[in-house]
Amino acid sequence: MIIIGQNGVGKSNLLESVELLSSLRSHRSNRNQDLIYWNQDQACVSAMIEDDQKVSLELNRKGGRKAYKNEKLLTRQIDLIGPIRSVGFSALDLELIRGEPALRRHWLDRIVQQLEPIYSDLIGRFSRLLRQRSQLWRNLSIQSNKDQNTLLDSYDMQMALVSTRIHRRRRRILDRLLPLASSWQEHLSNSKENLNIKYLPGSKLEGEESERLWRENIERQLLEMRSEEEITGNCRVGPHRDDVKFLVNGVDARRFGSAGQQRTIVLALKLAELELIKTVYGKSPILLLDDVLAELDPKRQLLLLDAVGEKHQCLISATHLESFEGEWVQNSQLMQLDSFS
Amino acid sequence: MPGIGPRTAQRLALHLLRQPEEKIRLFSEALVNAKSQVGQCKTCFHLTAGEQCEICLNKQRNQELICVVSESRDLLALERTREYKGLYHVIGGLISPMDGIGPEMLEISSLIKRVDKENIKEVILALTPSIEGDTTSLYVGRLLKPFTKVTRIAYGLPVGSELEYADEVTLSRALEGRRDLD
Repeated sequence: MIIIGQNGVGKSNLLESVELLSSLRSHRSNRNQDLIYWNQDQACVSAMIEDDQKVSLELNRKGGRKAYKNEKLLTRQIDLIGPIRSVGFSALDLELIRGEPALRRHWLDRIVQQLEPIYSDLIGRFSRLLRQRSQLWRNLSIQSNKDQNTLLDSYDMQMALVSTRIHRRRRRILDRLLPLASSWQEHLSNSKENLNIKYLPGSKLEGEESERLWRENIERQLLEMRSEEEITGNCRVGPHRDDVKFLVNGVDARRFGSAGQQRTIVLALKLAELELIKTVYGKSPILLLDDVLAELDPKRQLLLLDAVGEKHQCLISATHLESFEGEWVQNSQLMQLDSFS
Repeated sequence: MPGIGPRTAQRLALHLLRQPEEKIRLFSEALVNAKSQVGQCKTCFHLTAGEQCEICLNKQRNQELICVVSESRDLLALERTREYKGLYHVIGGLISPMDGIGPEMLEISSLIKRVDKENIKEVILALTPSIEGDTTSLYVGRLLKPFTKVTRIAYGLPVGSELEYADEVTLSRALEGRRDLD
């Protein structure tokens, strides 16, 4: 379905609400307030889905939200996730290859979060550990040196454990994504390009994948870096320093890939994500294309259409139809949004 | 007041206004007395009206066992179980640099001194399973290791709950803390 309308009529809002119902989060903001219409106290998003099921999420400006399934309040909001799955693709994603490493970590996190429910907790714990730790460096000088080191040891131990688990999950997802993405890349480039994805962990992970080994390794690295950390206040070991490298025919796509090549990779990654989620859950996720289709050249638009085909429901937002390939328009339902003022 | 929203506050205020004056006077005296008389036990820092709390004064209790809790309300919860017969140490919070709480602001050095001085066979850490609770447990544990045996309470499924309804985080913690079937 293509959703057409002027800027500001709420096209992205509509897509965002699907994202919110499918993942309980928005790529735009983590705060409830930002998702509620200006000057209103409350927002509500509802969707009717297959089998006459209804899911809703109620957000309050004062904080707190409530999740409903078939009008029944859910005691655990996470139970809302499941009936709807989605994969988002916005103009921002086009920066994935050449942008900051944080973009790639965020992208990876969103995929892992969809597939492993524990992961959000791990990320939350890690970022809290990191914040506590950096605040500790600022508060220091109050304590004796020995107690200080004991306290840092206590943080090291926890961070090593959580880091190990985050590294392991990120690597595992990339391993599963790689064959799918590289086969899409091959398809999208008429077999001219071979894609490889390399995980560059922010901790040195040596040897076999083993929780104990990695943990001890990371703990040792944290200790080694402690004197440097004392000066800078920045922790230099851990998943917050992770990056992902994309290689096309063995060459780093971030530095040497053309803009078109980089777009093809992003497209291949999104299609791989779509496929991965489908394999895991046995149901096609909804593809959300927010103002991005027009950014792709006609050739890639057609390839995307071909790949998405009839298999996936697809919501597309755009300001005008001119930049769409004819086939997209012919095969889509059109919805025109007008502002209500 | 914690846990009281505007509606409950209004109900309480109206209820108090309806009471006879005598009752209100006794109530306010009780509040003033509580404030002036209740202090901290000099040994374990639990709330008490005397110099030492009833638990520390009770010689029937196991004098070789100390349970470390963050606040007096945690101690009261443990007491309600009637299962624990040892002594306590209330450290008064959890280490959290973001809130400006460092170890020196908690009753940790007094705990170390106490364990060092007295013949303590085991210290049980009963702190909340959060980043701050875990940090405090690890920190206190490391400092106490040279003096005595240190254990911590188990985390996992609440008794009486159904496994299938437990959330993923609790379940994974419970899996982590699994133990041999004896």
